[in-house]
Amino acid sequence: MSIDIFWRIPTHGEPSSHRSRRPFRGDWFPGDDGQRQLGLAGGGDDGFTYIDYLAEIARAAEISGFQGGLLPSFPMTDEPWAISSFLARETRTFRFMIAFQPGFLNPVTAARMTASLQRATGGRTLYNIVTGGGGPAQLWWGDSVGHDDRYARTAEFLDVLRGVWNGRGSFSHRGKFFSVENAGLPETLANESFPEIYFSGSSDAALICAAKHADYYLSWLEPSAQLADKFARVKERTAQLGRRIKCAVRVDVVARATEEEAWREVSRGFENADPALVADFKGGPGSTGDSVGVARQGGLRPRTLNSYRDLIIEPNVWSGFTLLRGGQTNGIVGSYEQVAEKLDQLVQLGADAFILASTPHLEEAYRVGEEVLPLLRGRSGAAPLRAVG
Amino acid sequence: MSIEFIWQLPTGVSDPRGTRFNYLDYLHQVARAADLSGFDGIQIQNDPQGDESWIVAGYLARSTRHVRLLTEFDASRGSAVYAAKNAVSYQRYSRGRFAWQIGTGGSTEQRRAQGDFANDGDVIPRIEEFITVARGVLTSGSYSFKGKYFEVLNGGFKGPLSNSPVPRIYLSGNTPEAYQLSSRVADVHVFDAVSRDQLEAEIRKLEDLGTRRPHLGLRLSLVARETETEARADAAHYPGRPGLVGSYAQLATQLADYVKMGIGSFIVTAAPHLEEAYRIGEHILPAVRRLLSPSGRDAA
Repeated sequence: MSIDIFWRIPTHGEPSSHRSRRPFRGDWFPGDDGQRQLGLAGGGDDGFTYIDYLAEIARAAEISGFQGGLLPSFPMTDEPWAISSFLARETRTFRFMIAFQPGFLNPVTAARMTASLQRATGGRTLYNIVTGGGGPAQLWWGDSVGHDDRYARTAEFLDVLRGVWNGRGSFSHRGKFFSVENAGLPETLANESFPEIYFSGSSDAALICAAKHADYYLSWLEPSAQLADKFARVKERTAQLGRRIKCAVRVDVVARATEEEAWREVSRGFENADPALVADFKGGPGSTGDSVGVARQGGLRPRTLNSYRDLIIEPNVWSGFTLLRGGQTNGIVGSYEQVAEKLDQLVQLGADAFILASTPHLEEAYRVGEEVLPLLRGRSGAAPLRAVG
Repeated sequence: MSIEFIWQLPTGVSDPRGTRFNYLDYLHQVARAADLSGFDGIQIQNDPQGDESWIVAGYLARSTRHVRLLTEFDASRGSAVYAAKNAVSYQRYSRGRFAWQIGTGGSTEQRRAQGDFANDGDVIPRIEEFITVARGVLTSGSYSFKGKYFEVLNGGFKGPLSNSPVPRIYLSGNTPEAYQLSSRVADVHVFDAVSRDQLEAEIRKLEDLGTRRPHLGLRLSLVARETETEARADAAHYPGRPGLVGSYAQLATQLADYVKMGIGSFIVTAAPHLEEAYRIGEHILPAVRRLLSPSGRDAA
């Protein structure tokens, strides 16, 4: 069985390296979501918009052997549905992994959007279903449904979506969150394939929902034993339902020709990190939401933090990535061989797919595609696979 | 607002081209035809039996340069905050060309097939809440609202996502409730083609409602040919579509007359969509614009 490898699309601008916040690509102002800079290069309105840069990354990813890319959605980012439809025509093989929260769309609308995007891209759409970090952020989105109820809503949404997809005009449902009568896809879209579902969420409610609905259970990188346990639990739960589920890891990598070079990159980034951010980083999680995934990562943080070395939690695993950019905090650092080996270890722990990322996403798509992916042994553990395409 | 001509894209067609190309490739050509031949916008209809309009709008945005992307949908599509947030990306990437035409979703039965179980009487109030919330989060950095259908707490977009233009909002309908809604929240109220006298009466109903006057739009089908005789002969093949039939000069004059009645936005259609976009763009739009320019008026 081959390993599916995706890249990530930075929907929130990005610095031009891990070493420093500046210069910054995109009209975001580095470190300050309240400001914007004009033009992509910060030199005034140049007629380009951020989608022009995202198009470059998507093409780099498809050219260098990635299946596609995850398009994350957060309050401060651009939106994946927009990005996917805008880039449909100028990509060839790139698969658009759209992150969205089911509560925000009518499932019949979502079905028709997805089927149209499938038609526009020749079937290159898939989902990353997110059920929300909770707390004030959910109300910011206009969503007041509580944590466990949101997973019930996600489950119902996916049931209805699938029902509509296969409904041929006769699917009906009366539920707690959604109702529909005599629904289906238009005749012209009825033969499009249903998107694969990557599912995020670390709580018990999430695992139950994933077991029933997901094709892939997606986790951030966690310490090996913890991750192996999580994958085993979700696979076991899914097996109880008579289904199979695959597991995926979403992780940043810093891969260089030598291990020294890779750590030098991280060390420079750590030295240039915002001191306030570093002070906040020590101890518990930094979120006020009800995300179990965030809490699981926060629990790993050290009490003293004098060097980037204090954040090495396993060989070739550094837990300070959130100091360099937003998002999850554990990532893989090492030589090309070491990064490939670490990914292979994750395959042995149960991973069937990866969503990789590195900054800057354009150049690093080529580097990782050319230098790391060809070294992966994958499931067989034998001869390296050629890059997955 | 200056006069605008918006070309209506076709929808809902199955496709004989197999897998190498599909219907969206054809739509792409129609949209470019409208862009190249001088239209100000394209209208992407919400056809429950066709492709989803926001996806089509995004798909066409990247390969068009000037045309406004008038995208039709219903307020039942989901969260108003989420729609507004997506609209921000559409505006950023299209450099402010995204516009909304919000519809009612049709009969009770049609709405239920779209997952919309709102009572008939709630459809229009929900459109108003949808617009209110979307405008709120698009224009304020800290916006809260709690209504019957939508809710948001300390919402609003920051940094690069702030200050995107609110999509221009087009509404239609000829019931008293529809006119009241438009008089409160529409930027443009779009009328359907009726006789000139009827249209005047309908315009009066809308304008009598209040001090806030939306711009006026008109949806028309056109059969335009070099001569009136040709146009009439060809129009016989398209029965049942209200609209204008005549020579290029006749249609230009009639469209200019609508402008004098107060119409500023024309949503026009003709078949076949690709070829007729060029015909109307080349023969009629320049003539109307000439008639409406100060020097053109002197000449007329």
